[in-house]
Amino acid sequence: MCYARDAKNHWFAEPFDMSLPAVSKHIRVLENAGLISRGRDAQFRPCRLNIDPLKTVVDWTDQYRHIWDVRFDAMSDILKAMRDAEDE
Amino acid sequence: MNNQQSWVEIERVFEAPVADVWRMWTEPELFKSWYGLNGMSVPVAEMDLRVGGKRKVCMEMTSAERSISMWFIGVYKEINEPTRLVYTESMCNEDGTLISPQAMGMPEGHPDITEVIVQLSEEDGRTRMKMVHVGVPEGTAGEGGWNQAFDKLTSRLG
Repeated sequence: MCYARDAKNHWFAEPFDMSLPAVSKHIRVLENAGLISRGRDAQFRPCRLNIDPLKTVVDWTDQYRHIWDVRFDAMSDILKAMRDAEDE
Repeated sequence: MNNQQSWVEIERVFEAPVADVWRMWTEPELFKSWYGLNGMSVPVAEMDLRVGGKRKVCMEMTSAERSISMWFIGVYKEINEPTRLVYTESMCNEDGTLISPQAMGMPEGHPDITEVIVQLSEEDGRTRMKMVHVGVPEGTAGEGGWNQAFDKLTSRLG
């Protein structure tokens, strides 16, 4: 919903069945999480998407997903070998 | 960004009874057999399997020139045989002293403490496993861990 340009709250609110204060609350959560930053332009508070923290999360999860996938493949093989040994 | 949380969630079905999959996680010799990745072995897996009990794992990569050891320490938080296991994990020295992931050459933003949650259920002789690996932001290892981290997160979201 954010783009790499400044955006204003009411643009976010338009496509959703949601009040402006509710949108403001969601935006505050994003801001606290460091995912957006807000400037000031007269009465407006333009939002800007900050993708760096998201990138850190994605890098971390990608790396670990791969590690666990490899491990669970190994676990699956070992469980199968245990079963085959029992059947013999 | 101080309250970043990241997690990996993986679901798998194994052709094995739930008791066998539980043993894979909790018996050191079996754990060693699958936990090491390609080219890595697990020479040490100590598991004091009780809530608050310590677990310590060493992963070793040996090449022609040298071998690299990585140690991980943590505690068991929940043990509900054979359906649920929760433990924490942090990087440490051989003697168990915590070290920051950055000191080990991990990228900035790599969490100090991670938590592994394993949930198992048996269906027709097969075992469905759901594993969640949660990362806690850097800078929290010395602060008493999860409760504080969750308190902070809750207050941030509130």
